Amino acid sequence: MNGRVVVTAAGVISPLGAGIGNFACGLYSGKSAIAPSPRFPGLCAADLGEFHPQPWLGNRGIRVLDRSARLLAVAAGMALADAGLLEPAAADGDPDVGLVCGTALGPLHSITAFDWSGIEEGPNFVSPMEFPNTVINSPAGQAAIKHKLRGVNSTVCAGFASGLFAIHYAAEFLRFGRARALLAGGVEEICEESVLAFRRTGIAPGEGAALWVLEPEESALARGRRPWLEISGFGCVQDAYRIDGFDPRAGGAAEAMEQAMADAGIATQELACIITSANGNAVGDTVESRALTRVFGPGIGRIPLYAPKAALGEAAGASGALSAIVAGLVLERQALPPKPGTRSADDPIPLPHPISGDYALVNAFGCDGNNASLVIRLWKN
Amino acid sequence: MIRVAITGIGLITPAGLGKQRCWDTLLAGGSGIRTVASFDTSQLPVHLGAEVTGFDPGDLQRLDPETTGRASQFAAVAAHMALEDAGLEAAGLDKKRTGVSMGTTSGEPLFVERYNDIRKTAGLEAIPADMLPRYPCHVIPSHMAIELGVRGPCLMIPTACAAGNYAIGYGFDAIRTGRADVMLTGGADAFSRITYMGFARLGAIAPDRCRPFDCNRKGMVPGEGAAVLVLERPEAARARGAHIYAEVLGYGVSCDSHHMTAAHPEGDGAARAMQAALRESGVAAGDVGYISAHGTGTLTNDRVESLAVRKVFGAKANQVPMSSIKSMIGHTMGAASAIEAAVCALTLDTGWAPPTMNFEQPDPDCDLDYIPNRARKIDPRVVLNNAYAFGGNNASLCLAREEQAA
Repeated sequence: MNGRVVVTAAGVISPLGAGIGNFACGLYSGKSAIAPSPRFPGLCAADLGEFHPQPWLGNRGIRVLDRSARLLAVAAGMALADAGLLEPAAADGDPDVGLVCGTALGPLHSITAFDWSGIEEGPNFVSPMEFPNTVINSPAGQAAIKHKLRGVNSTVCAGFASGLFAIHYAAEFLRFGRARALLAGGVEEICEESVLAFRRTGIAPGEGAALWVLEPEESALARGRRPWLEISGFGCVQDAYRIDGFDPRAGGAAEAMEQAMADAGIATQELACIITSANGNAVGDTVESRALTRVFGPGIGRIPLYAPKAALGEAAGASGALSAIVAGLVLERQALPPKPGTRSADDPIPLPHPISGDYALVNAFGCDGNNASLVIRLWKN
Repeated sequence: MIRVAITGIGLITPAGLGKQRCWDTLLAGGSGIRTVASFDTSQLPVHLGAEVTGFDPGDLQRLDPETTGRASQFAAVAAHMALEDAGLEAAGLDKKRTGVSMGTTSGEPLFVERYNDIRKTAGLEAIPADMLPRYPCHVIPSHMAIELGVRGPCLMIPTACAAGNYAIGYGFDAIRTGRADVMLTGGADAFSRITYMGFARLGAIAPDRCRPFDCNRKGMVPGEGAAVLVLERPEAARARGAHIYAEVLGYGVSCDSHHMTAAHPEGDGAARAMQAALRESGVAAGDVGYISAHGTGTLTNDRVESLAVRKVFGAKANQVPMSSIKSMIGHTMGAASAIEAAVCALTLDTGWAPPTMNFEQPDPDCDLDYIPNRARKIDPRVVLNNAYAFGGNNASLCLAREEQAA
């Protein structure tokens, strides 16, 4: 084992598009998915609206799945199909294929609704069918049942950094030889409770599920899959400041980026672009800017930056994984998507912005003190 | 390969606060199971719970108990205890090289309960804006990091009732990969009416006593608590003159991919998790001298776990003593396997294994040695800690006496 972990496929369900192809089209058309929400009056969000998973999952056994579980199961199915892993090695599922899911608010809506039914109808009348949805690992467990994933199954939570942590966690598991392939990424749903939690933050909530298929390079090549990307480095630093506010000193964010670059063993000039964590929160965006300047100095002006949350909203536990998928597309196309929402009379066709290089840095920083950065590389033989 | 030692233990359990009090209670076959006090169970058919009593968050230095959830408070106090036990008071830590990984089932569900209570009595408008952001489970390790000022890898792994083992596993990995020098790792959960109602409706709560593996077992007893272990390299511990309780050798995780709440009927995932843990640890089944059972006390879990142990250990399964402390402290949810890992470390350290209490009548489906009713001196060199969860998440952790790992 050379320890290299590669990305061989992706599954994504987002208001910008379902499936990696549609998602890329949406992204490179310069659209933003942030719009008045069809479900929550007065809210601007990247909201999937009424979401029907039947086209992907069929009708069987989906009634009990909550929104997060449905989104994750759909993305998992897409990822497995894209990776050519839909037909498991054993009829009852593959014991060496698994799933690592990041989420932030997790089952907040399911747990609130379950408790509410206890208040309204009495504790002895809550639904035992709904109870499993109240545990935070429910979406990962449900997706595993749906797709017969019998290997490693884990759920990781680090606020808005959850998606990147899931990718890091899965990559380490593969390096330790604990699985043959792992789906890794995140899921988040917009619900009435999360809308309340986002109130007055300046952030447009987003939702969706995004998963990469990670494999050891050798085993991907051995089964004839050409890798797309390589996981090069990861860094994480906790602010240890507050659970509800950014540390204005920006130390954690800066150190997470430095760690990820050092872990990848690359220098600044090798970076083709940075996919930022910026989500419209004035303090958070300022802190990230400060951290970028601190790490890259005046040279930051020469590194192309892209802020995908202007198109995707803040999808919390899924946002790190969505950003990572965006980074992969950017490296593959050697171009940043047009800035979302810039279409105007003077500029009728927004154009992608060319970049050059093999490495991208992806940031996910949260006001909860969690800072994570990931470095990926366009895979070349 | 970098080795990883357990050098500090902090425990908040229904059977006592602090490592020594809890351990003494367990070896004496005591109990932390009582009638539920924190909410009204009169409309439910069951009333037993394992709540933490006598807990005082007043020792916290940086966290405000008013805004910090109960699970976070347990975890932060247990972290202080563990650091003190390891001789690594917070001030002496290299804070950039110290991380936190924790497990939980429910995060801070009391904020969801309060949200609904306010919504019921005063309407949505009356809910403070900062209430719901205090619920998500990642705040538990974040609060610990704030309390101790530590800035290394900080992660919550909420794999329900197996979460403690997952979290300790991540802590073990973080040291082996060089991401941290010290990891504070374990699990925490707060007693919640949500969990209680759910298990009551599943018919999973014992009406009278928790008696794992007994023929007349009638269920589990929900509980709460926290355990924090200090993990570090044995060389660093020795250089400081710290006591090493045990070493972590490895762990294995698997997924039943069968049913959200019911275990795989043949114990497929449970057996694969144990096998993976043994494989990663480089030990044979015959080396294992004790198993800390998941042993919830439900009909299915105990039968399936016994079957899985039989599958892994074969004809010699009866020779491996195995016990469930859930008979005494109930099922402390995401804290359970972390508390049990601490107990495993103490078993390796002292040679004594806690009993499975309330064991009266053997069950033909559970035909192993469950250390019934009385603690036993067994002097194991290698132990396995089993944990199984909703979602079919299974995790087994393998620990060893220090010299065994050398």
